[in-house]
Amino acid sequence: MENQYAIEMLNITKKFPGIIANDNITLQLKKGEIHALLGENGAGKSTLMSVLFGLYQPEEGIIKKDGKVVSIKDPNDATALGIGMVHQHFKLVDVFTVLDNIILGAETTKCGFLQKKEARKKVEEISKRYGLNVDLDAKVEDITVGMQQRVEILKMLYRDNEILIFDEPTAVLTPQEIEELMATMREFAHEGKSILFISHKLNEIMEVSDRVSVLRKGKYIGTVNTSETTKQELSNMMVGRPVQLEVVKDEAKPAGEVLKVDRLCVHSHVQKRNAVNDVSFTVRAGEIVCIAGIDGNGQTELVYGLTGLDKPSSGTITLCGRDISHASIRHRGEHMSHIPEDRHKHGLVLDFTLEQNMVLQRFNEPRFETHGFINNKAVRDYANYLIEKFDVRSGQGPITRVRSMSGGNQQKAIIAREVDRDKDLIVAVQPTRGLDVGAIEFIHSQLVAERDRGKAILLVSLELDEVMSLSDRILVMYEGEIVGELDPKKTTVEELGLYMAGAKRMAKEEAAV
Amino acid sequence: MKKEHFLQSEGFRTVAASVLSILIGLAVGSIVIIIVGLTSPNLSLSSAWDGIRIVFGGLFSTGRDASGTLTWGFNPTNIGNMLFRAAPLIMTGLSVGMAYKTGLFNIGAPGQYLIGTLVSLSIALGLPSETMSTTLIWLLAFLGGTLAGAVWGAIPGLFKALLNINEVLACIMTNWIAANLVTWLFDISNFKNVTESTKTGYIYKTTYNGVATAKMGLDKLFPSSQVNGGIIIAILFAIAVYVMMSKTTFGYQLKACGANRHAARYAGIADKRNIVISMAIAGGLSAAGASLYYLSGNTEFFWSTYQSLPSIGFNGIPVAMLASCNPIGIIFTAIFMSMLDISGLQLTNLTAYNEYITNVIIAVIVYLSAFSLVIKMWIGKLGRKKDDGADANAEPAPAAAPAPAGVQVETEKGGDAK
Amino acid sequence: MTFLIQQTLIYAVPLMIVALAGVFAERSGIINLALEGIMVFGAFIGVWFVRILQTSDAILSLKQSGNWVALQGVELLTMLVAAAFGALFSLLLSFASINLRADQTIGGTALNLMAPALVLFFIRIIANQNTLQMLTGDAASWFMIKKSTLGIDKNTDLGFFGETFVNKVYLATYVCILLFIILSILLYKTRFGLRLRACGENPQAADSLGINVYKMRYAGTTISGALAGMGGFVYALTTANCASNGDVAGFGFLALAVMIFGNWKPVNIAVSSLLFGLFKCIAASYASIDINGDGVYMLAEIGISAHLYRMLPYIVTLLVLAFTSKSSRAPKAEGIPYDKGQR
Repeated sequence: MENQYAIEMLNITKKFPGIIANDNITLQLKKGEIHALLGENGAGKSTLMSVLFGLYQPEEGIIKKDGKVVSIKDPNDATALGIGMVHQHFKLVDVFTVLDNIILGAETTKCGFLQKKEARKKVEEISKRYGLNVDLDAKVEDITVGMQQRVEILKMLYRDNEILIFDEPTAVLTPQEIEELMATMREFAHEGKSILFISHKLNEIMEVSDRVSVLRKGKYIGTVNTSETTKQELSNMMVGRPVQLEVVKDEAKPAGEVLKVDRLCVHSHVQKRNAVNDVSFTVRAGEIVCIAGIDGNGQTELVYGLTGLDKPSSGTITLCGRDISHASIRHRGEHMSHIPEDRHKHGLVLDFTLEQNMVLQRFNEPRFETHGFINNKAVRDYANYLIEKFDVRSGQGPITRVRSMSGGNQQKAIIAREVDRDKDLIVAVQPTRGLDVGAIEFIHSQLVAERDRGKAILLVSLELDEVMSLSDRILVMYEGEIVGELDPKKTTVEELGLYMAGAKRMAKEEAAV
Repeated sequence: MKKEHFLQSEGFRTVAASVLSILIGLAVGSIVIIIVGLTSPNLSLSSAWDGIRIVFGGLFSTGRDASGTLTWGFNPTNIGNMLFRAAPLIMTGLSVGMAYKTGLFNIGAPGQYLIGTLVSLSIALGLPSETMSTTLIWLLAFLGGTLAGAVWGAIPGLFKALLNINEVLACIMTNWIAANLVTWLFDISNFKNVTESTKTGYIYKTTYNGVATAKMGLDKLFPSSQVNGGIIIAILFAIAVYVMMSKTTFGYQLKACGANRHAARYAGIADKRNIVISMAIAGGLSAAGASLYYLSGNTEFFWSTYQSLPSIGFNGIPVAMLASCNPIGIIFTAIFMSMLDISGLQLTNLTAYNEYITNVIIAVIVYLSAFSLVIKMWIGKLGRKKDDGADANAEPAPAAAPAPAGVQVETEKGGDAK
Repeated sequence: MTFLIQQTLIYAVPLMIVALAGVFAERSGIINLALEGIMVFGAFIGVWFVRILQTSDAILSLKQSGNWVALQGVELLTMLVAAAFGALFSLLLSFASINLRADQTIGGTALNLMAPALVLFFIRIIANQNTLQMLTGDAASWFMIKKSTLGIDKNTDLGFFGETFVNKVYLATYVCILLFIILSILLYKTRFGLRLRACGENPQAADSLGINVYKMRYAGTTISGALAGMGGFVYALTTANCASNGDVAGFGFLALAVMIFGNWKPVNIAVSSLLFGLFKCIAASYASIDINGDGVYMLAEIGISAHLYRMLPYIVTLLVLAFTSKSSRAPKAEGIPYDKGQR
C-alpha cells in the first residue's frame, strides 16, 4: 500500500529549561492536503515547526518522510527533503535585492562566483506560473509587506519544496490579500504539494484547510476533518474551556473632547515623505476610538507624533484644551498614558526590577522621592498594590527582574502602570499582541472599564477581530492618511478590508470628524 | 519561594567570577614567564620561578639578600606606594564604571586624565603662593582640573547625544586631541622644569610652588612611601558615587537611560541630557584622579605626551570591569591593580623580566570580564548541581542569563525581529 | 608633488587595508574594535620575523649579492606571516564574541590592551629596549624599490609617473592595493560574500536558509584579523622604518573612522582613506612638503604650530563623523551576539 503521508512527526517531545514546549505530539501531513495547525500563543506550534525545520532537535520522537525515518539536523537537511517555510517574521535581508534574497543559501555559482542570470530566469518562470509578480531588483526594504511575503513564497518554490509551511501568514495582510493567498495555497495543494498552515484564526482555518490539528499548552489535543467540525468546537479544543468570542460592553456614552488632532504630519525616517500625512481626528471622553490598518501605514509614526517620541513636522495636537504639539514627553504625560507598541523597546527596562519599572514615569513624584533620594518603601508598597490589583505574576514579586517574566505578565505590568496613572487619555498600541486568550480577555475588560470610567481611549490595532469587537468608532489608516471612519456596528470586515487596502476611501471632509 | 543556595546568589557569583578572572590572569602571566624562561637562552628556570613569585607576592618583596635569593616581609614603602597609586585608579575606575552603568563605554578616560593634569598643574604652579594660601591653591587646582575634565568628557557625550556617534570612536579621537593639546600648551608654558638639567621634558613638581596634598597622617603608617590623603579622598568619592547611583532618583534616571535608552525616553526622561551629564561626571572623575596624582608634590609629569596616552586612564577599564562597575568594589579592584603595578616594578628591579607582564595580566582580566556573564552562569550551575536533590522542584532560577529559549519562542514574538 | 603623493599613499594604503579588515568583521556582524591591537601585534610579528630571517646567512647573502627580487619575496613572506599571526590573534575576539557571546566592545578593548603589553614585554626581553628594529640595515636599504635597485642610473628622470610610482616605493603598497580590489570583489560577487553580508544584516534569516552563522562570523573576523595584522606590518615597514614599539598611534581607530566614513563600502573607503592619508601625511611631514615644486615649504612657513598639524587628523575625523553620521548605515546586526536558541 502506498504511503499516504508526506510528513509524519511521531511522539515529538521537546523540552527547554523549566518548560516542556512539545509533549508527545504527533502530526501527520497527507500529500496534497492543507493541514491547519491550531493553537494559542505559547501552545508549542512554532517549536514543533522549528523541530521539523531542523532548528531544534527533539528529545524524543521521530520524523518520517514518505514513510521513511529521516533525521533533520539543520535547515539544509529540511531543504534537501523538500521542506520550506514562510516564517511569521519574514527572514529577509532588508538591504538585499529580492533576487539576492531568493537565491541566498541556494546560489548557483561558477568557481564561487554568483551566476545570477540562470537564477533570474528560474525565478521569473516561477512567478509567471503562479502569478506571484514582484520586482526582482527592488530592495526588500522598499517593497510592501504583502510583496515581502511573496518573496518568501518564491524562496520556497525556487528550492523546489514540496512541503510548504506557512507560519501565521495572514497577520500582516489585508482581507483581500488573504483571499489571494488562500487561492495560491489551494493551487499548490492541487498540484500535489502538501501544506501546513499555522494559525489561531478560526475563520481562515475553516475556509482553507482540509484537516485541523490542535495543540494546547504543549500537548496534542486532536485532529479533526474541517468539514466535520465547527468554529466553537475548535475554539474549545484550543482553549480548553468555552470562550467568549465577543467583548461584553455597553453602549458608549461619549462626553467632551479630550484629544483633538488637526492636520498632523510626521516625517518618515525610512523614506523621503510624510509617514503621517494631514491627519485630523478627535477622541472624546468615554469612547474607544480605534485606528485600524495594515502594519506600516503610518500608525506607529502617528503614535510617536502624539506621544512625543517623534516630532510632528506640522499640524497641532490639543489635549484637554492645551496645545501640546511641541510639548516634551513628560509634559504630555500629565494627561496621557501610553501602552507602547513594543514592550521591550519602550515599555520596560528589562534589566530593572518590577518595582523599578512600575515607577518609570513617577519616580520623582513627592510620594516616591524625598530630597532627591528614592523612597524605597513607598515604591515597594505601590508595586505590591499594582501587582495584586492587576494580578501580575512573577518569580519574586516586586524584586523580580522583568526580563525573566513571561510576555503576558510583562504586558500586564505595563497595563497596570499605565492604567493606574489615571490620565484622561490612554493611547494603547496593539495591547494584546502575542498574548494568550486569557490575557487578551483581561486586557480588553480593563480597557472597557476605563472607558466606562470616562477615559478617552485611542486604540491602535492590527487584529480585525479586536477592532470590530472593542471599538466604538473605527478610523482606517492607509499610506499615512485616514481614509475612512466607520461604525463597527454598521460595517463589515469586508468593507473594512477595502478601506485598509486603499481600494475605497471617504472624502476628506467626511472622514475628518 | 525557596531561599537561593548561596552559590547561586548574585553577589557571590559576581565576586567569584572576579576572583576567577584574577586567578586566570595571574596564571596566564605565569605561563608566559615560564615559556620565556624555558625558551630564552639567558634566562633560567629558577629566574622564572622568581618572576612568578614576584607576580603573586611582589607587594611583600623586600629585595634580594647578599646571596641573591629573594627576601620577603612587610614592606611599608610598597604598601604606601600601592595606596598612593590606587587613588587615581579608583577615580578612573569610577569614571569608567559609572559611565558603563549608564550605557556608555568611556574609553576617553586617558584624555580626560590628561586635561585634568593640564589644568590642575597650571593652576597649582601658576597661582602665586606668596600671596595665597597653598591649601586654597590646592583646592582650586583640584576643582579646576575636575571641571576641565568634565567639560572634556562632555564633548563625546554631546557627539553621542546629538549626532548619535559611537562614543568609543569619539572618545578615542578626543584622547589623541587631548594628548596633542596638552603637549602644545605645556610646550608654550613656563612650567617646564629647567632648573634640574637631568630632567628634560618634565613639568615642575607642585612643591616648586609649595603645593602638595595633605598627608593626613598616613605617612606615619607607611614611612618612606609616597602615600598621602589622596587615597582617602578617592574612597570618599567612591562612596559618594555609590550613593548617587543606587539611592537617588538622579541615579535611577541615569541607570534607566543606560539600561534602555528608548524606554527612558518613553517615560519622559531626558535621555540626551543624561548622556551628556553622565559623560561629564565621568570626565570629572578621571580628571580628579589626575589631580590627586599630580598635586601630590612628589610626582612629575612628562609633558611631551603626544605619542602616548596615560595607562592609568586605560586601567580604569579593568578596574571597573573587575568590580562589575560597583563603586565600592572599585575601591578594592583598584588597590589590587595598583598592587600588580608594584609587583611589576619589583619584577623590573629584581629579575630579568619587566613590568609589561602585569599589563598582559590586566588585559587577560579585561578579556575575561567581557564574558563574565558566562562565567557567572557557570558558577551558578556548580551551585545548582550540588543542590539538585533538595531543589528539584524549584522554579528555574530567573538568572541574569538569557531567559529559557523555549519560553521566548512563542510568547515573545512581538519583541524580537525588530 | 611626487613626495606628497608618495607620502599620502604610504599612510593611505595601510588605512585602506585595515579599514577593509573592519568591513569584513562588521559585515559578518562582529564589531572589531581590536584593529589597533591586531595591527600592533602584526607589526611586532613582522619585524621579529625579519630579525629572525636576518640571522640566517642565506638571507644575508641575498642582500649582499643584491638579489632584490628575492628580498621582495622576503617582504611578501613577512606580510604573509604577519597576516597569519594577526588572524590567530583575532581568534581570541571571535571566540569570545561568537562562542561566548561576549560584549564585543570590551573584548576588543581587551585585545587592544593585550597587544601592546605582550609586544612590549617581548621586545624588552628580545632587544632589552623599548623598540624592536631590524638586526642590520633598515627598511629602505633592504626592501625599498629604488632606481638603483632596478639598475637605472640615479640621475635618469623617469618622468612624473615613474618618479612617483616606481622610484622609492614599496612592493607592499601595491600588493595591498591589489588585495583590496580582489577582496572587494569577493565581498560582492561571490557566494561567500553574499552569505557573509547576510550574516551581518540578518543572521536569523541566514540561519533559516542553512547558512552557518557562526562559521561565517569566524571567517569574517579571521579575514579581518589577517588584514589588520598585515596592515600593521605594512605600516611599520613603510612609515616606521620596519620597527615596532607597541604602538601604531591610533591608526587602527582611524581605520574604523575611515570605514564608517566610507559607509562600509570598499569604493568609498578607498577614497576616504586617501583623504585621511593626506591629513596624516601633512601631520607627519608638513615641514618638507613642497606642493608645487617651487622650493617653498608653504605649510611650514605659515607658522602654524606643529602640534596643530599633529592634532589635525583626529579633529578632522571627529568632524567628518559628525557630518556623515546621519547618512551612514551600519550592518544591522553588528555587535549583537547571535544565539541559535533565540530566534
